[in-house]
Amino acid sequence: MKKLKYMHIQNMLPVFMMLLVVSFAKASSHREAPLISNDPLADNCDVYAFRSPNNPNKISLIATYVPIQFAHGGPNYYSFGENIRYEIHVDNNVATPGDDITYRFTFHKSNQDPTTFFNIRLGAQNLKTTYTLEKSTNGGSTWSTIVSNGIVPPPNIGARSIEGGAGLNSNYATLFNNAVTTASSGENIFCGTADDPFFVDLGGVFDLGDLPRKVGPARDGLKFLNVSVIALEVDIATLQKNGQGVSMATSILDPNYVIGVWASASRQQMRTLNPNGSESYTGPWVQVSRLGMPLTNEAVIPIGKKDLWNSITPYQDLAYLDTFKNFFYNPELALYMDNSLFGGAVPQMGALRIQRNSLQAFDFGNGHDGLYGLKGSAAVAGTALDDAIFGTLLLPAAGSPRSVDLWPIFHTGVPNLAPYHLATGKAGNPLANGKPFINNFLPNGGDMLRLNMAVPITPRDSKQFSADGLINAAVLGLTSPLYNSTTALQFIPNMDGFPNGRRLEDDVTKIELQAVSGVVLAAIGLWYDDYTAGSANPVTTDLIDVLSYSTGVNKNDTMFRRKFPYVQLPWRGTGEAGGLAVPFNQSACLISSPPPPTSKARIINPMSDPLSISNIALYPNPVIDILKVNIQTESASDIQFKVSDISGRLIKEIQAKGQEGANQFEINLSEMKMGIYIIEVLENKQQRSVHRITRSN
Amino acid sequence: MKKINYKGIQGLFYALLFITSNFVASASSHREAPLIANDPLADNADVYAFRSPNDTNKITLIATYVPIQFAHGGPNYYSFGENIRYEIHVDNNVATPGDDITYRFTFHKTNQDPTTFFNIRLGAQNLKTTFTLEKSTNGGTTWTTIVNNGIVPPPNIGYRSIQTPVGLNTSYSALFNSAITTSSTGEKIFCGTADDPFFVDLGGVFDLGDLPRQTTNINDGLKFLNVSVIAIEVDIAALQKNGQGVSSATSILDPNYVIGVWASASRQQIRTLSNNGTETYSGPWVQVSRLGMPLTNEAVIPIGKKDLWNSITPYQDLAYIDSFKNSFYNPELALYMDDSLFGSAVPAFAPLRIQRNSLQAFDFGNGQDGLFSLIGSAAVAGTALDDAIFGTLLLPAAGSPRSVDLWPIFHTGVPNLAPYHLATGKAGNPLANGKPFINNFLPNGGDMLRLNMAVPITPRNDPSFSSNGLIQAAVLGLTNPLYNSTTAIQFIPNMDGFPNGRRLEDDVTKIELQAVSGVVLAAIGLWYDDYTAGGSNPLTTDLLDVLTYTTGVNNNDTSFLPSFPYVQMPWRGTAEGGGLATPFTQAACLVSAPLSTLGFATSQTMINYYPNPHTDQVIFKFNLVKSTSFKIEILDLQGRLIKTIGEGNYGSGEHQLVWKSDNFPAGIYLAKAIEGNRIVQTLKITKQ
Repeated sequence: MKKLKYMHIQNMLPVFMMLLVVSFAKASSHREAPLISNDPLADNCDVYAFRSPNNPNKISLIATYVPIQFAHGGPNYYSFGENIRYEIHVDNNVATPGDDITYRFTFHKSNQDPTTFFNIRLGAQNLKTTYTLEKSTNGGSTWSTIVSNGIVPPPNIGARSIEGGAGLNSNYATLFNNAVTTASSGENIFCGTADDPFFVDLGGVFDLGDLPRKVGPARDGLKFLNVSVIALEVDIATLQKNGQGVSMATSILDPNYVIGVWASASRQQMRTLNPNGSESYTGPWVQVSRLGMPLTNEAVIPIGKKDLWNSITPYQDLAYLDTFKNFFYNPELALYMDNSLFGGAVPQMGALRIQRNSLQAFDFGNGHDGLYGLKGSAAVAGTALDDAIFGTLLLPAAGSPRSVDLWPIFHTGVPNLAPYHLATGKAGNPLANGKPFINNFLPNGGDMLRLNMAVPITPRDSKQFSADGLINAAVLGLTSPLYNSTTALQFIPNMDGFPNGRRLEDDVTKIELQAVSGVVLAAIGLWYDDYTAGSANPVTTDLIDVLSYSTGVNKNDTMFRRKFPYVQLPWRGTGEAGGLAVPFNQSACLISSPPPPTSKARIINPMSDPLSISNIALYPNPVIDILKVNIQTESASDIQFKVSDISGRLIKEIQAKGQEGANQFEINLSEMKMGIYIIEVLENKQQRSVHRITRSN
Repeated sequence: MKKINYKGIQGLFYALLFITSNFVASASSHREAPLIANDPLADNADVYAFRSPNDTNKITLIATYVPIQFAHGGPNYYSFGENIRYEIHVDNNVATPGDDITYRFTFHKTNQDPTTFFNIRLGAQNLKTTFTLEKSTNGGTTWTTIVNNGIVPPPNIGYRSIQTPVGLNTSYSALFNSAITTSSTGEKIFCGTADDPFFVDLGGVFDLGDLPRQTTNINDGLKFLNVSVIAIEVDIAALQKNGQGVSSATSILDPNYVIGVWASASRQQIRTLSNNGTETYSGPWVQVSRLGMPLTNEAVIPIGKKDLWNSITPYQDLAYIDSFKNSFYNPELALYMDDSLFGSAVPAFAPLRIQRNSLQAFDFGNGQDGLFSLIGSAAVAGTALDDAIFGTLLLPAAGSPRSVDLWPIFHTGVPNLAPYHLATGKAGNPLANGKPFINNFLPNGGDMLRLNMAVPITPRNDPSFSSNGLIQAAVLGLTNPLYNSTTAIQFIPNMDGFPNGRRLEDDVTKIELQAVSGVVLAAIGLWYDDYTAGGSNPLTTDLLDVLTYTTGVNNNDTSFLPSFPYVQMPWRGTAEGGGLATPFTQAACLVSAPLSTLGFATSQTMINYYPNPHTDQVIFKFNLVKSTSFKIEILDLQGRLIKTIGEGNYGSGEHQLVWKSDNFPAGIYLAKAIEGNRIVQTLKITKQ
């Protein structure tokens, strides 16, 4: 399959040849297709691509594999597999076919002490894993080895195995940090187990879309679970098609700085089981899993096509257009966001309704025509919808309403061209020029995560940083006086967020559900049905409903690290995660009142200062004698607990040392009177959280 | 590999041929070997075999596969795999080679609505799974199909998918129960997802044996997790080698009623991936996983040999004895139970010490001789240790101390013959005849779970029922005046427990660790080092330390069903197990939860329950600080008593009760927890 020719002139009017029809896909995928769910080692989970928050000249690319890893999955703990090619692919130039840069990781295991059933004993490690990294810059024709014998940290089994003298006599942070290496071509590289940065209520969403739950509390289905992470930090100049650094960019939406990123896993065609318990692999390599955009194969492609989707590359997506196009032009999820279809069957998504009568003219319901009625008209002349500009890319046929929004988001990126400007300045005509807010256009037709590397970084400690990503940028561009008084190109916070690349924090499940419900159409002026064309305020109830929709799980179960590889250290096998948290304390709490998500223990400024505590949990409450405190920290720190009575009198003060990772402390209240106490948690003398605890007997 | 000939005469003297040396293996196995950990669908987890508690003429055989299943592992929920042969093997006659009965299950999947990414929608189910069951009674030469199109219940995704009209519009218990079928040869069969009945602190044990945990919280590593279950309930007469029912047994230890059970998974030799996302299988079938005794391949076989161990059958174990024997004669775990070796490196095992100087004569430490010095002596004449009786089975060589206890437990079963009688009546000589307590001898040399089907059932509601299994029976036989005043065969409660078969409740991790520390040796009179031969009381501190050892996780995380298939229904994807408890929520309720809503917390008894809201059943867990009478009363909102649960006396510790609310309307109920005459808590329960 050849990549489409991208015949562009300057940065404005790319011309497409031979695009007859086009398809649309999105992907996070854990156990997403029947076959690959049975081969966890080769199962892609997620792909992230973002400018490194602490180094704006670099891009971090992260691919995760081997989903749903229990921290206590011994004696053979989860890791990468042998005989698998794990690859991260970068396309930076639509004019060259296939990959422009490919990174291929292969892993090797050895037993340092095959006489024990323990994984780690007396300084020796079994299934000790190393890797080789090869790089190709010519579409896979030739390869250079850029890392040999890279180290994968051991599993985070527990204190006896990691810190103990009978184990490795080290600490996990050291093992983790030591595994970061630099390739001969300059990239920072990390391969190892980490907390899964993704978050989603798996149990809810796959119970026929119970998201947010109507039945029972929302749960992060990936909480406490680890994943195998491949992370690279690469100079922008290395990724940019002409070798230019970001300082050469002509604007923050310079079209020459767009990359498309996807990841895959491949196995050799034939596996032969030998009678002695070993196995061998032969034959050509076959792709068994891939991932570009989150959730494509999990929640867009129906079950009958999932295995096929995993087997082809993004560069083949157009060849399979007839197989997949309708899942994007008329997505299944949209059935549940339309009262005339199955909207009534999924009341959880009641806030998400699709434009059936936008501007009293356009119907984006499944099976309807959307903007197709404008095809060839003067109204679309000169816009991205003009056949003379993009061919039939965006208006392929009647009955394909989402060809104008969902499809380009997932398969080509979005150009900086009307109608894909914010409604700001459009004076009510969605097809007019407005305020630019995205350009990640790389029209090869394949499912990839597309990032414009020239877009500046929203600092993670900025008050404006938002997990809503580009949706948040659009809202600001439409409503904030800082941005909505001009159509000039400005950096709006979170323009560096999903779907312009993907940051670890981005709430992609929510963003994609909002996108399916037409929020991108609204952003460009195709407002919801309850707005009357020409009236003053397009921020209607329907729009506010969509914008305030939440899945109930909005962030990761722990924080991220401030330096490469940014993902958090893995959960420990003997920690809270290694055997699941006890239900007792929680249900004891739930008896009283299921607390709203906003009333959680106040974690003060979790991102904005150099402190490292990310998670604090105290239990049980009420407590009889011993109060347990679980604290997750990013680095070693001094921790202090201050226990006061309800009148504010300080009763007890405890000093403790927190190690990097998960810590558990105990506060003995057995000598105190029954009643209510206030417990402050301080780190390096700064208050981090305040809790109210009842002592009872 | 041929099975060893079994020249048995009556129930006593067996002559074994060709056993030159021997070894021992134990197995529950979740992710236990490197290769199979990467092929979860074909990964054996556990095997159980017990007389059915509510039908004494039947035996229940259960094999579990596909370990560590998240209830919320969608959109492609866990289940059995296609292109795999799941087999349960029964050996009932040591004179016939290989299996006497083999059950082979194969699974098939279809999509009823391939246009959705949901597993269940509008009455249609994707990856809908059915099974074929074939049976062979001639070692696999010929096969008869005895179940066609057997039903595997759908995954227990959640309320919307199971109960509502958008989904299947039924209840999970209805789906679960209607999946039980009867084969054309009379067996009851169930294949489906269920709560994993096994329990073990995985995080602790594999952190260099931190069991029970010394510093961190104990956790059942399989809590809230499901497993794929194959269960068979079969007449004893169908399993007994001569077709006899249990009423024909000559005693409760009749040697003709011993079966050996193991399970396996096999795949075809060659898997070929095609370029369109499909795969094909070809070639002969190759065994990729097996399990007989719990924990063998998890905690006995070292990593370098685990894959090999999975690839051979029990009938091949003797041929590979040189590869494996030392893992049993001198087990790795014993290194950590011996102060002169690595005992100090594993403080959690401190109560478990091995006899280094039993009766001031015998050293069972790794590398020592144990009873080997007695070989050929008059002292062992006529016992199971006599070469004339069992060849060199039990005393193969010097430096193989555990050939007399661990090896027979795992590879031959234990005969009803000295020295394998309880010390009761032995008058201080461990080699003398004493009180019989076990006979599950089926000496084919392979790792199997061995059950004497003639041993009566200990009722599950009997106060004497104990998850310590045969260890508990031995304690009673040594110490209880009902049993220790005679050497006659008596039924002692829990003689039907592991390692005489395995009941769902049996705490096999604890029992095996106790066995490694020499508790079986002690039971037959080879007491611990702090007993002086001839002294009056062999119940020394060392023995009590071993008997009171606990791993910290002693029972399953939920109850068992009272009838076939006995395993509990699976955890639901949207429930407590499906997404783990959230520390954020916990912290949140710490801020707000006032004490008063927890009822009258006037006792240290704390009741917790889940899920809430619930649909079919609600589980109450409570911790008692002392023994007391206890019950839970369910009231409706008008205060009318509608059900009393679990009324009775309970010991201190954690207990669990279940209220099945199937027959009650949705709404709010109150549960009063009553300890003695006192209401200790009132809980509000919402049924949906």
